[in-house]
Amino acid sequence: TIQDELDDLFENATTPVENGDEIEINYSSGVLTISLGANGTWVLNKQTPNRQIWWSSPLSGPQRFEHLRIEEGDGTDVWVSSRDSSSRLGALLSKELKELYGFEVEFNM
Amino acid sequence: MLSRAVNFRLRSRIPQNASLIISRNYHENIVDHYENPRNVGAFDKNDTDVGTGLVGAPACGDVMKLQIRVDDDGTIIDTKFKTFGCGSAIASSSVATEWIKGKTVDEVLSIKNTDIAAHLKLPPVKLHCSMLAEDAIHSAVGDWKKKQELKNTKVAA
Repeated sequence: TIQDELDDLFENATTPVENGDEIEINYSSGVLTISLGANGTWVLNKQTPNRQIWWSSPLSGPQRFEHLRIEEGDGTDVWVSSRDSSSRLGALLSKELKELYGFEVEFNM
Repeated sequence: MLSRAVNFRLRSRIPQNASLIISRNYHENIVDHYENPRNVGAFDKNDTDVGTGLVGAPACGDVMKLQIRVDDDGTIIDTKFKTFGCGSAIASSSVATEWIKGKTVDEVLSIKNTDIAAHLKLPPVKLHCSMLAEDAIHSAVGDWKKKQELKNTKVAA
């Protein structure tokens, strides 16, 4: 899950992440909240009836991602931006984490 | 009432210690627009100088109807809105109707959801409300422009 990946990332960060920042990654009731201290808070919301994930980022603002199933090989579930169909949730999250912390991590979604 | 909106926010942020009640305050601008919303109501959507924007979907919780009355110079002379949704959605659309009054239909397209969110100090989870308000403005302008095109083709014929 995204939460597990992020927890690992921050615990094992090789470049020191500011200790003053309270980093909290919390998932409950379909809402993933990623608090990165002074860098702001991301909120990812599961909207089950619409099959969407609603994203809110201090860097890129609010956006909606639609579920798309890619039938290649075993098949993958990806989330595509309703604003720009070339943009995916996984890629955007990777990009923003890289911008802030230099992490190189891929989320296959 | 405001308490229903507050409960929604508490639910999506489960406190670690169940006996500790986290009290979150709405920014005074939101409370102001929630308790004294500006420009509530409706125009006749068939009026040729009225543009109607309808955005959102009940399934995701918010629906906004924003209407503009535009004069011959393309200036928005009056606005009305009706919103079904949380306090932040109501406040966002109320702010939108205030800000677009007196501006031209092209000027208002540059109003960004980030401006509305900053004015109301919206928390991350409510940024979608200001986004929806921005969409409502665009939708209303688009509808008015479409009507003008239809009017012009009729006149030409």
